[in-house]
Amino acid sequence: MRAIYIKFLVFVMFFTGVVQLKALDFAWEYFRTIQAFHIIASLIITLFLVTPFIYQHIYKFFFIKKVNSINGWLLLLIFFLLTISGLYLFLAGNRGGDTFGIISFNVHLYGSFALILFFIYHVLQKQNVQLSVVAMLFTILNPALSHAATDKLSLIETDAKTGIYHNEDFTNSAKCKSCHEEIFNQWSNSNHYHMTGSNPYYMVMETLAGEVEGQEFRKWCMGCHNPSALTTGLSKTTHPMQGNIVSDELFEKNAKTLVESFKSQGNFRLEEGVSCVTCHRITEAKGKGNASFKLSLERKKYAFEDSDSGTGHWFSEKLINSNPDAHKKSYMDPLYKQSKYCASCHDEFHPKTGMKIVSTFDEWKKSPFNNQKDKTKHKTCIDCHMTNLKDGKFSPLKGTSTKGGVLKDDVKVHYFAGSNHFLSGLKSKTNEEQTIDLLKTSAKLDVDIKNGILVIGVTNVGAGHHLPTGVADFRELWLDVSIKDKNGNLIFSSGKLKNDGNIEDGSRLFQKVFGDEEGKPVGLLFWKYKTLLSDTRIPSGERRVESFAIKQDALYPLDVEIKLNFRIYPQWVSDAVKKVFPTLPNPPVVELIKVIKEFK
Amino acid sequence: MKKLFFYTVLIAIVVISTILTIALLTPSKIIPKYSDDKLRELALSKGLKPTPTSFEKLLEIVDSQENPVTPQKIALGAELFFDTNLSKNQKTSCATCHSFDKNLKNKKALISTLEEKNQKLTDCAACHLQDQSGVDRFTFSEGDSAVPHPYLLNTQTILNSSLAKYLTWSGEVKSIKEQSENSLIAHHKMNMTPKEVEDRLGKNPAYVKSFQEVFKDGISFENSAKAIEAYAKTLITRGAYDRFLEGDNEAMSHDAKRGLANFISFGCKGCHNGMSLGGQTIERFPLRKFAQVYDFRPNLELLPKIKRIDNEFPFENSGKFLGKNNEHLFRVPILRNVTKTSPYFHNGAVPKIREAVDVMAKHQLGRHLTLTQIDEIVAFLHTLEGNIVEYDMKDYK
Repeated sequence: MRAIYIKFLVFVMFFTGVVQLKALDFAWEYFRTIQAFHIIASLIITLFLVTPFIYQHIYKFFFIKKVNSINGWLLLLIFFLLTISGLYLFLAGNRGGDTFGIISFNVHLYGSFALILFFIYHVLQKQNVQLSVVAMLFTILNPALSHAATDKLSLIETDAKTGIYHNEDFTNSAKCKSCHEEIFNQWSNSNHYHMTGSNPYYMVMETLAGEVEGQEFRKWCMGCHNPSALTTGLSKTTHPMQGNIVSDELFEKNAKTLVESFKSQGNFRLEEGVSCVTCHRITEAKGKGNASFKLSLERKKYAFEDSDSGTGHWFSEKLINSNPDAHKKSYMDPLYKQSKYCASCHDEFHPKTGMKIVSTFDEWKKSPFNNQKDKTKHKTCIDCHMTNLKDGKFSPLKGTSTKGGVLKDDVKVHYFAGSNHFLSGLKSKTNEEQTIDLLKTSAKLDVDIKNGILVIGVTNVGAGHHLPTGVADFRELWLDVSIKDKNGNLIFSSGKLKNDGNIEDGSRLFQKVFGDEEGKPVGLLFWKYKTLLSDTRIPSGERRVESFAIKQDALYPLDVEIKLNFRIYPQWVSDAVKKVFPTLPNPPVVELIKVIKEFK
Repeated sequence: MKKLFFYTVLIAIVVISTILTIALLTPSKIIPKYSDDKLRELALSKGLKPTPTSFEKLLEIVDSQENPVTPQKIALGAELFFDTNLSKNQKTSCATCHSFDKNLKNKKALISTLEEKNQKLTDCAACHLQDQSGVDRFTFSEGDSAVPHPYLLNTQTILNSSLAKYLTWSGEVKSIKEQSENSLIAHHKMNMTPKEVEDRLGKNPAYVKSFQEVFKDGISFENSAKAIEAYAKTLITRGAYDRFLEGDNEAMSHDAKRGLANFISFGCKGCHNGMSLGGQTIERFPLRKFAQVYDFRPNLELLPKIKRIDNEFPFENSGKFLGKNNEHLFRVPILRNVTKTSPYFHNGAVPKIREAVDVMAKHQLGRHLTLTQIDEIVAFLHTLEGNIVEYDMKDYK
């Protein structure tokens, strides 16, 4: 009697295992249920049913009836190996990084076929297979299995451009942390996380845009800055509070507030801003700017992946680790390596006037970095902005992107080093260093004095776009010049800060200045841009020359000190924002290059 | 034995299949679908009403014999409402906590704050003034010199409060005049004495003149409260919901209409009723005893999720406030503009509207709403959002 029971169960385990084979390409809806069923059932069956049976079986035949079946002993060995490998796959997983995982997977896969062969042979010795066949058929046709596979939640058809997502459709980034902690921490201190409630500059600008242009206009900002809120139908960006004060996310490392909010509310509370999922579930990118991407949240989810109980969450992680193919495919796309993917947000135009406000992607397309003929010289966005820097040089990070995952030669780091060292630097020194290191690779200085004229050349050697790019009207890159004569007297200076923190008038800035319809500078209201008042940015690979006349009666030799300085926000912008967020510190001036030279 | 096993398996399969077949064949529960007109009829029959469109209609609802509302009195009340001189340190006005711009048409509050060198706004108000929420958006209220409320109570909106029968969290105040007096003299609010108020008003010739025009007995503490009451009575908002009730089917989205139907049929409207959707009664919170101790979620998890929560409330009761007579009795809050007045509950412990809806459903109705139901109700609550109506008083004598 019991033997039949065991036969039935062994075949159940075998079949639920086999349908998970990659070659069979079983429909995901069935796969996820069967995978969970396979693991739970295996545990219960081996622990409570098969193991006692084996023990009694051996006792009965080997010790009492004195039958020594080699086949039987082999079967026991394979069963043992399968149990061990199965337990390993379940508890540690096959994440790609450890050999045991790969061995376990193969042992489990081939072992199961061996087990079934030996098992049938072992059973056939007793000529009693009819019932096992019946049992097999029942297993396959069992209505319970096929019914449980239709899960409505994951069949929702949604499209970000027309439909509205649920909070629950998103996965909170804090959930990704348990396996991708390193990358989570990089991102959580980067500007890609701090683009909404924790970014004082953004909060002021979005509110200002709403006030000046009408509340609806906020959506223009939110498309790139807060896609999760926009696609769930929210009309503005919010910020968390701690009692009566704004939460100090501005200074907080590793997204503490987000992690705590996830712990208490799970996915019920929406994670605003650019989360893991908002980038890693982009399925189409047009590269036109203004959030021209398709955010598709329908993806393959393992059983219990959406569970908000601790056990369910733990179990789903085990399911992913044991067979992570679907997980990897859901969140990784070759598209993510192309520049046009980034361009869906890093280009920006006014929705009504069509005026180009940010054209980083266009700049890149025309730059030598976009080299379609010579692939070795072709550099995409992530080659600079997601590659690890060490001691001021690109030094691809060797390591894993998942705990225990495959060892990679170039793990794409998520510091998103660009130019905003300031806001990410308030959270993490590493993030700040990565950005400043990157900034320092961008330009070169050359200095000469000819006929009493100081000539400074600034060459954009490191950036595949203009210097500066992005919101180049809010970026300050300028020359700080001091000349001392023979006696050590300062005879010329330019580009110093005034007492109020602003750069003195007449300084040489590399920037663009926007004017409105009437040709007046737009100030904070950058979307009012209609006329370009000036553009002194340095295109990729080009050299811009600035000349300064030196007094004719200057006493040579002259000591010339030149700095190429960078500041992420002009003082007047920070001053405005500080009126609303008084705790905001002033962004520091970063010295990118310093040249000291003596002229005789 | 073998037979017994075979039949056991067979019976098990038959039973399971039958159960599953029943589940498949049974039609899903029919949820009544209301046509737009039916829904409107239902809402109106349950006592839900749009706010008045004209000053005359407003007066029919809010005017009283003891303190008749006149345009002059409203104008005086508005002056007092925004006057920081009525607080001890001369930094706080009524509008500091019940925040909105004096000039309702002003669309430049933030930009002028950012551009001006000497700004008077507090940092939060700079952004939130444009909300027209009538609250400070703080977790708990802070009075003159930043004195916190002794019970750490959250500021309630003054907008639409004239439509309510009871005021304040405990519902012990019956009129805006009474509450204005309370606020002026409360240590944790304006921190004045009646005499100080009268003295300060008396020093301002403009006030002396307008008080004499409006009241027979000129400046008095009571009269200043009366003027503030008259002004507060005109602070009424209208939103998409009102337009829907008045016959505009396009005013509300499909989700919001479902939300309204749920709002009525689940029982929310039992307490949140009347024109103001709240403020008409005093009720116990939390109502369901089981929910006071445990948040038990019956779900198909591996292990059921059981969370022990605060004994008194389904959130931490930071200010130790226990409602009227310490009996968990609270005035039902007004739902108009609720989406603009986060955080929620008496001590602002719940930051988001969806979470607040969930708490209310669980602990007042004993219902576990589905995520869609919550979203629909939130969509409905958004239709209650509206700006302050600027009533035309020119024709009124």
